[in-house]
Amino acid sequence: MTYPNPDLEKALARRRFIQGAGAGTVVLALGGVYVLSDELTRDAQAQTRSDGRPRLPPGQRVIQALRPMGGEPGDPSPSAYRLRVYGEVDAPFELTFAELLALPQVEQAQDVHCVTTWSVLGAKFKGVRVADLAERAKLKKSARYLIFEAAHGYTSNIALRDALKPTVMVAHQLNGAPLPRAHGAPVRAIAPDFYFWKSAKWLTGLRFSNHDEPGYWETRGYNNHADPWREERYA
Amino acid sequence: MPDGTAEPNAPARPRKKLHFRPWMRALHRDIGYFSVGLTIVYATSGLAVNHLKDWDPNFKQVSRTHQLTAPLPTDDAAAAKSTLQMLGVLEEPREVYRASDTQLDVVFDKRTFHIDTTSGVVHEEGQAARPLLRMANWLHLNRGKKAWTYVADFYAVFLLFLAISGLFMIPGKKGLLGRGAVVLLLGAAVPIAYVLLSGGP
Repeated sequence: MTYPNPDLEKALARRRFIQGAGAGTVVLALGGVYVLSDELTRDAQAQTRSDGRPRLPPGQRVIQALRPMGGEPGDPSPSAYRLRVYGEVDAPFELTFAELLALPQVEQAQDVHCVTTWSVLGAKFKGVRVADLAERAKLKKSARYLIFEAAHGYTSNIALRDALKPTVMVAHQLNGAPLPRAHGAPVRAIAPDFYFWKSAKWLTGLRFSNHDEPGYWETRGYNNHADPWREERYA
Repeated sequence: MPDGTAEPNAPARPRKKLHFRPWMRALHRDIGYFSVGLTIVYATSGLAVNHLKDWDPNFKQVSRTHQLTAPLPTDDAAAAKSTLQMLGVLEEPREVYRASDTQLDVVFDKRTFHIDTTSGVVHEEGQAARPLLRMANWLHLNRGKKAWTYVADFYAVFLLFLAISGLFMIPGKKGLLGRGAVVLLLGAAVPIAYVLLSGGP
């Protein structure tokens, strides 16, 4: 198309060039992000865990930072915080935030797998092992399951044999900084070998139970066991 | 007609009118109007929640790190006050909490400042709600409340009524005996095909 005014034509040509260049930059940048991200996924797929399973469960793609994934936040106040440990135990107890911080701490790099198909490798969580809390509470022989209780009635459930693994913890730090509100501040559960909805945010209680009690998502069509390596996403 | 044939000049028998349609239309219309608000809530929230892995539909996240001149005052209240002054924060904190020997938390309703009192590093983090979407998602996901279940059940029944009554709204070729049936089958084929092709649950 030609225009009677050469200045106008020149201006329009320049505008087309800028638009084209802008679009090209966006496409290249997004492509770069995609390629980089895919490289992370490929690297992870090539690795094997110490238990022989592939580092990246099937159907997952590696991203670089945890995503919040919603939920109804609990009270972020550390002074109001209480963690109740009870149920099938002989010595139930309650901890304030300061008391939780005063217990023996562990810091572990854990891979996190979200049911929506993203994974984050080596997220560093600091906190207290569930096994240590269970030992202090003196579990009864009848205890079979652990129910994570969280703000606004959210719950999730795992079998006791899984809950007592050394990687399962009650965490208050993520990557060297206090746990952000979006990730469940002040305290959340971490059960890394399950899809991440099991790791309840805004944790308020550990209830040991003699029977299984499917939690919030487990009663809404998600798998009760939630093993990422078996792709147990849905019921 | 003893011989089974019509008399050639007999008048055509008047077609029996279906009297349920005006009633059904009126109900369909009113229930349709009634359901608009809830449909917008559920559909908007559905879209938002479907894409949870790409964004947080409930909150905008705030995360910043500040470096202050260390060391800060040893008294907690004074350290918090000094920090807020240096950061230009005028809001009154909800609480000042000594989390450990080196960590002081200054908590506001929507954000927290985690202060490392020895290094002067301050992590500021918080969330700002997206009010309408948060409300819609709260209702849609039916978190922590029983009464809403009844509303949601009624809404589901209304949707069923709208769908089923819609089948009989239009008589003739464009209705269920013509084009309507084809479109109906096409619509039903979508979930059936998806289940068959994907292997199902």
